Amino acid sequence: MPHSPSPTVFVVDDNAAIRKAVSRLLRSAGIAVTVFASPTEFLAQYHPNTPGCLVLDIAMPGFDGLQLQTTLDKKGSSLPIIFLTGTGDVSKSVQAMKHGAFDFLTKPVNAKNLLPAIRSAIERDAIVRQEQARLSEICARLDTLTPREREVLEQVVAGKLNKQTAGDLAITEATVKMHRARVMAKMKVQSVAELVRLAERCGIRGTNSLKSAA
Amino acid sequence: MPEKDNEGRPSQLRVGRHYPMNWIPVFWSINLGACLTLAAFYCVVWCKQRETWAHLLFSCSAVAAAAISAFELGMMNAQTVEQYQTLVRWIHVPTWVLTVSFVAFVRLYLHAGRARLAWSIYGLRTLVLVLNFISPVSINFRTITDIHHFSWGGEIVSVPVGLPNPWGLISQVSLLLLLIFSVDATITVWRRGDRRRALLVGGSMIFGAILAWHVPLVIWGVIEVPFFLGFTYTAVVAAMAYELSNDMARAAHLAHELELSDKRLNLAADSAGLGLWEWDLSKDEIWITPTRRAELGFPVSGKITFEDLISRWHPDDRDKVRQALRDAIKNGKDYDAEFRRVLADGSVRWVASRGRVQVNKQGNPIRLLGVSMDITARKQADLEAARQRHDLAHLARVNALGELSSSLAHELTHPITAILSNAQAAQRFLDADEVDLNEVREILNDIVTEDQRAGEVIHRLRRLLRKGEPQTHCDDIDLNEVIQDVLRLMRSDLINQNVTVDTDLAQNLPSVTGDRVQLQQVVLNLVLNACEAMTNYNSSERQLLIASKSENGTVRVSVTDRGGGIPEGKQEQVFDRFFTTKKEGMGLGLSICRTIIDAHRGKIWATNNAQCGATFHFSLPIVSPDGLFAAPSEVFDKSTLTATDASAPRVAAPSVLLRAGANGSEPEELRTSASSVLLERRQ
Repeated sequence: MPHSPSPTVFVVDDNAAIRKAVSRLLRSAGIAVTVFASPTEFLAQYHPNTPGCLVLDIAMPGFDGLQLQTTLDKKGSSLPIIFLTGTGDVSKSVQAMKHGAFDFLTKPVNAKNLLPAIRSAIERDAIVRQEQARLSEICARLDTLTPREREVLEQVVAGKLNKQTAGDLAITEATVKMHRARVMAKMKVQSVAELVRLAERCGIRGTNSLKSAA
Repeated sequence: MPEKDNEGRPSQLRVGRHYPMNWIPVFWSINLGACLTLAAFYCVVWCKQRETWAHLLFSCSAVAAAAISAFELGMMNAQTVEQYQTLVRWIHVPTWVLTVSFVAFVRLYLHAGRARLAWSIYGLRTLVLVLNFISPVSINFRTITDIHHFSWGGEIVSVPVGLPNPWGLISQVSLLLLLIFSVDATITVWRRGDRRRALLVGGSMIFGAILAWHVPLVIWGVIEVPFFLGFTYTAVVAAMAYELSNDMARAAHLAHELELSDKRLNLAADSAGLGLWEWDLSKDEIWITPTRRAELGFPVSGKITFEDLISRWHPDDRDKVRQALRDAIKNGKDYDAEFRRVLADGSVRWVASRGRVQVNKQGNPIRLLGVSMDITARKQADLEAARQRHDLAHLARVNALGELSSSLAHELTHPITAILSNAQAAQRFLDADEVDLNEVREILNDIVTEDQRAGEVIHRLRRLLRKGEPQTHCDDIDLNEVIQDVLRLMRSDLINQNVTVDTDLAQNLPSVTGDRVQLQQVVLNLVLNACEAMTNYNSSERQLLIASKSENGTVRVSVTDRGGGIPEGKQEQVFDRFFTTKKEGMGLGLSICRTIIDAHRGKIWATNNAQCGATFHFSLPIVSPDGLFAAPSEVFDKSTLTATDASAPRVAAPSVLLRAGANGSEPEELRTSASSVLLERRQ
């Protein structure tokens, strides 16, 4: 598992005074901050592994906040974004919302709103990252299965009996049992129900019998 | 009472001898008296009009004619040779006076007769006079031996008997020249078309010059008549008197005509609201048309001096107009000023006064002639129009700022956001166990800075939103500053619209004169306009270029967009009021820009770019170092009825006005023509 740095808040705003003030406020609350004058600057320096959240000014000259959101989306980033908006940015705000912005705060932003929002964003980021970490571990276990074992797993997930599986895969029932036991061990589960749940989280769907399909 | 001779019957001869006052003395005396009366009369006329020298010459010749008559009467009654000799010698003095003044009169009054002939006559006549007094008896006689009495027309008269003086020939030559001179002058007058005068004066002259030949004939003993030279000249004198009296009648008629024409002129001037004036510089006397005179509270007659007149002007305007007049007189230039007058009833009226300096032959100014026009109504209309323009411009400005409101809110939001975050950070730092005072100090400094920034935004906004009074003065303005101010206000709006602004501003741009707020409004309108032109275009193409440069004595600002451009042929129309291509546009923005730029004596125009979009340009005159007259004195809503205009009286050279004054030197002529030119102009 890669190292997990402490959460950082990224502030992207073209206004230097606001950058400075917001970063001060966050520092006063004991939150680590990195500031960027433009989305481009942020993209150049940001490492996706860094947890935290993004405090983003919605209207900036050139490459603006919305475009940054889209770009991050495409890159599969799950970094929660808190948009700072002015009063006149209603249409942009709606657009940002559709793309799954974490929160909107109107300038001038009050610490009473900003700090809790940042905290919950960081929290959510942490949960998401934890979830992602677990998932990738499970997926890693899946990767250890042999093709045959994977086939057997798919039959199990599909709810087939050992006998049906044996028929479908044209092997003996004893062999199916042996594979099932090995899969259970490799996936570190105690029950079939648990195995099915993990497999589904990793996106494995049960396959119907080839025969019945035929 | 007639005496009777010894036989008791009246003797004609004796009666004639004893009672010389018969028809001859009566006629000669009447002639003498008539000549003297005419002489006295015209002498009085001359005294009143010193420049009419013809009157004096006429007086002299009449006196001389009278004197000649007196001498002749004396000679006819002379009893001794000595008496005769004295009279014959002294008669040449009045003859000289008569000849000389007569010739001079013809030259001066009839403008006829050759100068050489005239001078020859003067010379010969003077020579005759000199020789007359050198000779033993006179120019006519070497000696007079006897007096010959004879009866003539029932009267006994005396003629001299003696040796003629050969020098007398000179006298005859001068007489001959006089005849030639008279004939020549008569022909000239006749040819000129003045036939009556030629017949009367010329004819009598020739007649007189011919009759004068009886003198040598008598002297030579050819004929036996008394001298009647006085009468020959009397005919001429009578003709001259007749002409002069005709002249006087004509003058009286002209005076009447002039009075009528004066009345007509006054009526025309009054109905046109004009006042005519004339300032005699040497006498410091001012003539003004009666209506104006009454308006200003001057009595109907009586002298008005310049100081009297200036006391009727508004105190604030006096020095300026005085200076303008002084300049006009000093440089011999036309004078043109607008100033206020305080009428007798205390009301203040605006007056435009224009005048022309008249110079004498030496080129020294002698008189100032001019017209003044009441322009109060125009000034009030100007003021009203200016107020309306001002209101409209303000409305448009508020409207434009309304469009920008969200952007402006942003401009305020930024510093306020920074201030709030800073303040709340500071609060938290202060709550900590160990307070970092440096940090707090820094935060407070930043708060102050940001607060000032917000203050500036508000200040800029307030300036643009303020309606205020039409400005009474102009500032020197750096258009680059104006552009940057506007861009600062519009920053957020431009960002929101994804418009990129490039500027190409000239370094060390010269200043222009004007109203900062209004010029900001122009730039604001042009930028808003350019942004709107690009709304339907891809955001990457929304580029705006604002450039400033100095060229040909002006500063030029151009706003270039990359929108759809102006439809062909509508480049002028876009500046029309209510012309718009936008759904929501009022069509006021660009028309107001034009009004403002026009009022700044600048130009505004639009061109389509070669590739895409349009460019709007405006240019304003650069402030000249001496300022006053080159700079626009009447900026937009500046034509107020305060001291603005008065502080810079226009001293231009109105070429149309008083054009006629250049050729006519007659005051009446000038007055008439000046007013008629003005009347034409008013139509």
